[in-house]
Amino acid sequence: MSNDSTTTQAGIATAHSTEAQPAAQGGSVFKEIFDSSLGDHHGFYLFHYHLLDLPYIVYDRDSGLSCYTSKQELLNTGVYELHHGHPIVKARYEAQIHAGKPDKEALSFAHPTFDASVTNLVAYQWLAMLFLGAAFFTAARKYKNNIMKAPSGFQNALEAMVVFVRDDMVRPNMPTVKIADSLTGYFVALFFFILTLNYLGLLPGGHPAAGAIGTTTALAVTAFFVVNITALRVAGVKAWFHHLLGGAPWWLFPIMVPIEIVGLFTKPFALTVRLFANMSAGHIVIFSLIGLIFFFKTLWVAPVSIGFVVFIYFLETLVALLQAYIFTVLTAVFVGLAIGDHAHEDHAAAH
Amino acid sequence: MDSHGLAWLAAGLGVGITVFGVGTGIGPLVAAALEAGARQPETAKDARTTMIIGAALIEGVALFAMVICILLATK
Repeated sequence: MSNDSTTTQAGIATAHSTEAQPAAQGGSVFKEIFDSSLGDHHGFYLFHYHLLDLPYIVYDRDSGLSCYTSKQELLNTGVYELHHGHPIVKARYEAQIHAGKPDKEALSFAHPTFDASVTNLVAYQWLAMLFLGAAFFTAARKYKNNIMKAPSGFQNALEAMVVFVRDDMVRPNMPTVKIADSLTGYFVALFFFILTLNYLGLLPGGHPAAGAIGTTTALAVTAFFVVNITALRVAGVKAWFHHLLGGAPWWLFPIMVPIEIVGLFTKPFALTVRLFANMSAGHIVIFSLIGLIFFFKTLWVAPVSIGFVVFIYFLETLVALLQAYIFTVLTAVFVGLAIGDHAHEDHAAAH
Repeated sequence: MDSHGLAWLAAGLGVGITVFGVGTGIGPLVAAALEAGARQPETAKDARTTMIIGAALIEGVALFAMVICILLATK
């Protein structure tokens, strides 16, 4: 009980300190929550406990490539400084950035050209890969060892989901079973990777890697290549160019071709933003509901707030599954659309 | 009212209008899918899949708007 009251006091103190900021910077409170809990970090954290140092890999046009194994090493070397803990700033511009009024030179040169550091969210993706690798290789070994036995346990659960991906997402959207089966591996990987990332983000202290736009962009880029390469491979170059006309009469090409070319890129872009926004939206709602307690400065809001948070959390477990499903099934739909009706030889066999 | 106040006002109004648009989009969609399922239960599964894809596309547009609102609010 005493423990509870101290945390509450600490929380109210935080609320006061944020309130003390001038009104013009009110947006920065939101931004700070956004950065600290949804954004990327150097270093692996569980809640506020620093568990692990992740390597810093920084490339700059002036000082070249530099790698540091930890934050301490980076600070000791003195080429770079950390600004508020996250963005890397060159040491000689740090004072200006810190003062909040960087001049033009500092603005364009303060940050390194290319920051390829291993960050928190990258670590979460590696965790997901490790987990998936372990799960699927275990299941695969079980299949090899007991060829004639019915699947059991975890292997059975995985089989059910893989078959679901194959039969309900990929096959209905592809013109032939052969094309569908050649792509099933990609879709299974996509579905399970997004699903694992989403559920890792829902664990207490976890971060949703799919709630960062970089992750979802990378996934959508793979989708873009799969869509177009499959279309080129299956339907042929001529059909691919023919699709740019969108089925309209030839004299409409000045309008249709630009629209279709833009359409090629908006589809993966929509995939990117949909997954990113869905995965961060739930967390933002939870933050806002918790924030209500500090906004009203009374404990009596807490039960209502927590009740809604639990509701949103359960909703998010649903959304995590639904978004993995939607990303996968939409990619499959786009592949099917890009192929069009150019590969219908064994269509009857697909049903 | 300074520019930050205007930005917040725009973000709040934007969220409201977005939610209105999504409501008028997804509502009839789900209604139609339910109706289709009630009339022909054997096609209910196909209708549901198509509904989820359509809902995702509508939601995608809505989320573009939401991201713009968030950018306005954090400006």
